[in-house]
Amino acid sequence: MKNKVTFIAGKIGQLILSVFIMSLIVFFVSRLAPGNPLRAYYGEAIERMSPEQLQNAEQRLGLDDSLFTQYFRWLGNALHGDFGISYQYKQPVADVIGQVWSNTAWLTGISMVLIFVIGILTAVFCVRREGKLADRVMCRIGVATGNVPEFFVALILILIFSVTLSCLPQSGAGTIGETGPVDRLVHLILPVASIVISHFWYCGYLIRNRLSEEISKEYVLMCKVKGLSETAIIYKHCLRNIMPSIISIMAIFLPHLLGGAYVVEIVFSYPGLGKLGLESAKYHDYNMLMLICLITGAAVITANILAQTVNQCLSPEREEERGQML
Amino acid sequence: MKKVPVTSIVLLTFIIVGCLLGDLLSGTDPYYMDFSEISRAPGEGHLFGTDTLGRDLFSVIWCGGRISLIVGILSTILSTAIAIVYGAAAGLASSKIDDVMMRFTEILMSVPQILFVMFLQAIAGDATVISISLIIGVTGWMAVAKMVRSEVRDLRNTGFVMAARTMGGGFFYILRRHLLPNFMPTIMYMIVTNIGSAIAMEATLSFLGLGLPMEIISWGSLMSLSQRAMLTGAWWIILIPGIFLVVTLICITETGEYLRTRNKKDRLI
Repeated sequence: MKNKVTFIAGKIGQLILSVFIMSLIVFFVSRLAPGNPLRAYYGEAIERMSPEQLQNAEQRLGLDDSLFTQYFRWLGNALHGDFGISYQYKQPVADVIGQVWSNTAWLTGISMVLIFVIGILTAVFCVRREGKLADRVMCRIGVATGNVPEFFVALILILIFSVTLSCLPQSGAGTIGETGPVDRLVHLILPVASIVISHFWYCGYLIRNRLSEEISKEYVLMCKVKGLSETAIIYKHCLRNIMPSIISIMAIFLPHLLGGAYVVEIVFSYPGLGKLGLESAKYHDYNMLMLICLITGAAVITANILAQTVNQCLSPEREEERGQML
Repeated sequence: MKKVPVTSIVLLTFIIVGCLLGDLLSGTDPYYMDFSEISRAPGEGHLFGTDTLGRDLFSVIWCGGRISLIVGILSTILSTAIAIVYGAAAGLASSKIDDVMMRFTEILMSVPQILFVMFLQAIAGDATVISISLIIGVTGWMAVAKMVRSEVRDLRNTGFVMAARTMGGGFFYILRRHLLPNFMPTIMYMIVTNIGSAIAMEATLSFLGLGLPMEIISWGSLMSLSQRAMLTGAWWIILIPGIFLVVTLICITETGEYLRTRNKKDRLI
């Protein structure tokens, strides 16, 4: 029992340390920006300010202190939930992000579940026909779809389903004035489809290789001798045994998935973190970009640590191996 | 053992040669905008039609491919150089420093590359071929570095590396003379795949309007016209550059996959 407590405490410590280091990186990168950080706060108004006003503003914002002092002040504010003002929206960045993050979470969550299921199904499909035509064709299709950049998949889907067939909406997260869950789901179909199409093989292929390794083990032969059907062997025994690997794969895969989701959001102008990120990059809204990077990174690190913990519970004997996989 | 992907290599060579020859092949100036010939469908005179700016798509594609390939190769050279030095340093360092260095890469890897690239591109301002290659290179070295590090970890206890170290061989001497020739075959496939992902990253970025501007022709900046093309139903402006991009990416992946199975060391990343 005590072991578990120290294990979880260690993981939480690891999480906090990682997020802290990431905030350092993000902060210093944002300060690499050329030009006056005052511009980020005041925008074009800066050109109409007198030198005294500028100096006052600089002092008030603490820009004349050293970078480290600035960082710790920023961190102190951040711990109170104050991440600064968005230059573009003239609102606290945390508020702006608070309005849209759930959209991204829904999009990524649904895609993740679908990729997990489709990945396992295609992997099983391929392994049961390993080396045969169906397997080779599936691998070809997988390589092809996996190489199409997300934005191109999204464009093609829009071209087919929105422009030509005009049966699915092209953009947004919902029709204005309608709030029903059906409407939201309809708007999710194309974005989720683009993400799933361009990413499912990343998981499918890794699971396929892992499963084909597992299926050549001796216990599988034993099960066959005892008369179990192939379906039962794969689903009841093999998949359970490789579940830790699958969970690791999904955790490693999360940053790719999020990156893909951000691109897809932008193509479909789906209000989420990705679209916000692009706008912030275009308008040089660094406070916003910093928080988006931090949230994304923290989510990925949390997911990784969660995956490690789950794996630890699933198969406690292989701790060493797990620790190395992020 | 996988067979040599002949089709992919032939196609890839064809695309590369076509991009190098570019203008010679098509005979028309890719930068020439003919405003009387905007968004013409493929047909006589223009093999692939014209884009929304009246440029001949056939010559634009070859010319754009040149920039895309240059970005892919430049950024991969940069990312590989960083990865090799960083990975080898971590691999040769004591286990504590190694641990810290690897944690650091893991933290960097937890932010999607596209987000980092957006961030840095916003800071760098207007994109050029050089700046975009630099940014993609600087943000894309972590996976290779991890692999180099684990290879070097295996190599550091071999006789020849220990001998070189005890005789006072410097870091770069050992790296060049003993480590590089040994781990290069293993990481080669990742380098090849990285060229592909760098090309895709550039295309995505330019498509989103953060990368190369319309005046610098690349496959990505060409596709940023597609939003406008979609409204007029000019499918060729979307599909033709896209198909070129996708075919190139598939060929690169197939080549990389062949290199991987040839030096079979299956790792997750």
